[in-house]
Amino acid sequence: MKPLAILLLLLMPWRATLAADTLAEIGARLVKTELTEGRFRQEKNIKVLKKPLISTGTFIYHRSRGVIWQTLTPVPSMLLVNRTRLLTAQGEQALPPAFGRVFTAMFGGDLQSMQEGFEMAGTNGKNAWQLQLKPKDPVLQKIIAEVQLTGDKELRQIDIKEANGNSTRITFDHIAHPEILTPPQEADFERLSSAP
Amino acid sequence: MNAYLPRLSAGIWLLGMLLLGVLGFNTLNRDWLETGFLALLPKIEQRPDVAEAIERHNALINRKVIWLIGASGSERAIANAEQLEKRVRDSGLFGSIMMKVNQEQGIDQYRRLFAHRYRLLDPETRRLLKAQPQGLFDRNLEMLYSPAGQLQAVMLEHDPLLLFWRYMNAQKPANLNLEQGVVTVRDGQKVWVLLQADLDNGRLPLDKLEKLLQLSRNAAAEIQKSGGELRVSGLPLFTADGAESARQEISTVGIGSGIGIVLLFLWTFRSIRPLLLSAAAIASGLAAALVVSVWMFGKIHIITLVFGASLIGVVDDYAQHYLCDSFGDRDWNPRKGLAAIFPALFLGLISNLLSYVGLGFSPFPGLQEVALFSAVGLFAAWLTVVLLFPLLLAGFRFAHEPALLKLALIWERRWPDWAFNNRRWLGASVLIVLAGGMVQLAPRDDVRLLQSASPALLRDAEKIRQLLQLRDNQFFLVSGKNQQEWHVNEQRLLEKLDALIRRDALKSYEGLSRYWPDPETQQSDYRLVQRTLFDSGLVKRYMADLGFDRAAIAAELKTFAEAERGTLKLEDWLAAADAGKRSLWLGCTEGRCAGIVALSRIRDASALASLEALPGVVWVDHVEELSSLFARYRIRASVLLFAAFALVSAGLCFKFGRRGALTVMSIPLVASLAALALTGWFNQLFSLFNLFALLLVLGIGVDYAAFFYLAGERRTSTSLAVTLSGLTTLLSFGLLSVSSTEIVHAFGFTVGVGIMAAMLAAPLIGRENPLQEPKAPRKIAGNI
Repeated sequence: MKPLAILLLLLMPWRATLAADTLAEIGARLVKTELTEGRFRQEKNIKVLKKPLISTGTFIYHRSRGVIWQTLTPVPSMLLVNRTRLLTAQGEQALPPAFGRVFTAMFGGDLQSMQEGFEMAGTNGKNAWQLQLKPKDPVLQKIIAEVQLTGDKELRQIDIKEANGNSTRITFDHIAHPEILTPPQEADFERLSSAP
Repeated sequence: MNAYLPRLSAGIWLLGMLLLGVLGFNTLNRDWLETGFLALLPKIEQRPDVAEAIERHNALINRKVIWLIGASGSERAIANAEQLEKRVRDSGLFGSIMMKVNQEQGIDQYRRLFAHRYRLLDPETRRLLKAQPQGLFDRNLEMLYSPAGQLQAVMLEHDPLLLFWRYMNAQKPANLNLEQGVVTVRDGQKVWVLLQADLDNGRLPLDKLEKLLQLSRNAAAEIQKSGGELRVSGLPLFTADGAESARQEISTVGIGSGIGIVLLFLWTFRSIRPLLLSAAAIASGLAAALVVSVWMFGKIHIITLVFGASLIGVVDDYAQHYLCDSFGDRDWNPRKGLAAIFPALFLGLISNLLSYVGLGFSPFPGLQEVALFSAVGLFAAWLTVVLLFPLLLAGFRFAHEPALLKLALIWERRWPDWAFNNRRWLGASVLIVLAGGMVQLAPRDDVRLLQSASPALLRDAEKIRQLLQLRDNQFFLVSGKNQQEWHVNEQRLLEKLDALIRRDALKSYEGLSRYWPDPETQQSDYRLVQRTLFDSGLVKRYMADLGFDRAAIAAELKTFAEAERGTLKLEDWLAAADAGKRSLWLGCTEGRCAGIVALSRIRDASALASLEALPGVVWVDHVEELSSLFARYRIRASVLLFAAFALVSAGLCFKFGRRGALTVMSIPLVASLAALALTGWFNQLFSLFNLFALLLVLGIGVDYAAFFYLAGERRTSTSLAVTLSGLTTLLSFGLLSVSSTEIVHAFGFTVGVGIMAAMLAAPLIGRENPLQEPKAPRKIAGNI
């Protein structure tokens, strides 16, 4: 018992300072605005499927209203994710555990709030930073093994490793921070938010 | 009364008390206090199947306590919830506590149902397949390509069409989530953790209820300190809250009227003996009432005790009448006194007992208890006065002029004089007040008035209902000759309910046939899947496009073909379901199968009630039914009240002749009308219970009137006695109006106004000639 306790004692403050400092530094690098928009490419590797599911589209993040995720290829669809809800054109759907919170926090650069549900570790390199998130929730652990975020002053890539071996990689480009929503974007938020 | 043997009668009294003590020792040693709200209500004359459905529906609700533990983050909320769970577990009050989701049950459900996935379609999937089968796969792709589709991707391995996922997902409320193994509800920026617990026993004794209330309050305070929030609801808590306020009311009314009476006595008699004697009368009355009621009913309700506490004021009347009789008579002795007042005492007792008999005829168990409690208490107190007082009043002198006498004299002499001199306009204005109040009477028969709950509790309950879509009180009972007919009938009802949901008449419903398709539907669902997805080649194309290899596609086709035969029986489906869904099925007996369709957040009950026209469908609205029962019994009680008036009048007619009876009866009549009129003017609750209060007013009114009518030369002492007893009655019943339960409050108000009116009206009768000095002695009208 004793050596283990000493090891823990040595380890814990070190881990804590690393996470807290690195997190603050990375957070400081990120551009934080009301609106963020861009394009995405998502690649899902599912064990039972021979080929990855690749989709592309655009996203728009609004700090208080959530993220609109518009898939353009191969199956056009649109959904709105905020902290508590997942709204699609077909109506509200059950939100996977922790998904809404993490998803919006990632786009908002709100790294602190992710600490609530995840053990975080990371490195802050010269050109890019990287964060590893491991869920604390045992139920979530059974689904998600690790989430890795990569970025500079923007979030550039998300890697999700699932416990069963499936994985997802999302990359972002053409990121911009407009001042206001365009009328069609405004209409999309309206339409999806008022879903039953 | 010819025999006068004070020692013997006191001995008899003592013997009676000893017997009572023995009886009390045997009856009061078990749990005799009832606190549940439902115990007060009459059993509805129901068809047995409806009654059983109500019982099943309520059984699930009656023992359940629900907590929502809220915080701004789920970690905090879950930590708080875990603390509360420990506290709840340690309390030992609950049989089952549910916070962690039972994963075994999920696995069991999967094991039992998964093989049947091709014939278990939710209504939306069925609709989609009929309209546009490709749409099903489009939705699947949409989900799989969505960033949130991890769960569906996992399912893909065993269920490439995601049929089972769709089936299970259609049953899950959209706003509930699973975090760290507990159910959470999100509401704006807040996370709530759900903790449910079922009491071991639906009828908790009082101390346990207190423990429950205390537990919840302590936890709320603690969680609040850590920046969280706790909401709690459930019938046991309402019961506990009601019991607590009833207890407080009993002590307010009991202590308040007790202190008032002590002061009044000391002030009036300047001696401790009357006080002790009255205390003996009251104590023996209450003790007898309690013991006999418990002996008769097994358990008595706490509301009965609230009314019982107010009885103190009434049982004291006889003692006061006897005590006051000694006033102003130099050679008074107990024998002479008793002889003088016995007729009035006897008449008073009989009229009061008659009015309680009226209460006893009501169908409400609560009121029957009140009637027996009051009648026994009154009779025992009366016996104490008649049997014990003669011995203990020996040598009693009441010679000083009490301050109360001044008040009594003003009221007994000046007030009638003034009233007679001004009778024209006084009569007219009394008529106007009475008539004006009567037209403003608007009956309210809502059964919920029986229950009092603190605003905080009601707020919590509303919030929880909002977040969790709990079942409402009303529901549908659907039946059929067999399972098949039941299923058809329920499906027809659910179709109509879907339309009503779209019209916002209700939020949601729960019916088994929505989840369990009957064998025929299962068969047709399988065929539907076969026709639209497999035979059309859609499955092959979909799976190939997604990237399944040949072996996986072949395996899926084989699994489907093998699943052709077989049926999922309702019994098997139920075995895998949670307790909530299981409770919807009432089973099959003697050629009849029945189930419940539970509803939540009903907005338009009448639209729902009209669906009763559908075959095999019964609309069950227990609350509304009880309320309409209240209304019917209000009318019945009015008849009862008239009958009581007539009965007492007839009795008086026999004794005093028509004229005398009319004179005496005018007092309770005016008092009752005044009570009703002021209820109207002050917009107080008018229901069944006011009418029962009027029965009491009748009894007390006749008391006062008879005391005066028979007073003769003892008018001064009579007025002193009536003033004293009127004040004590007012003290006790007036205090009932502090009750937070609306009906108790209304009862107190009605009796209070009635007594006041009777006190004002009583001195107006029994005067030889109103315009002369009322000094001429009057012969006592009879000797009973």
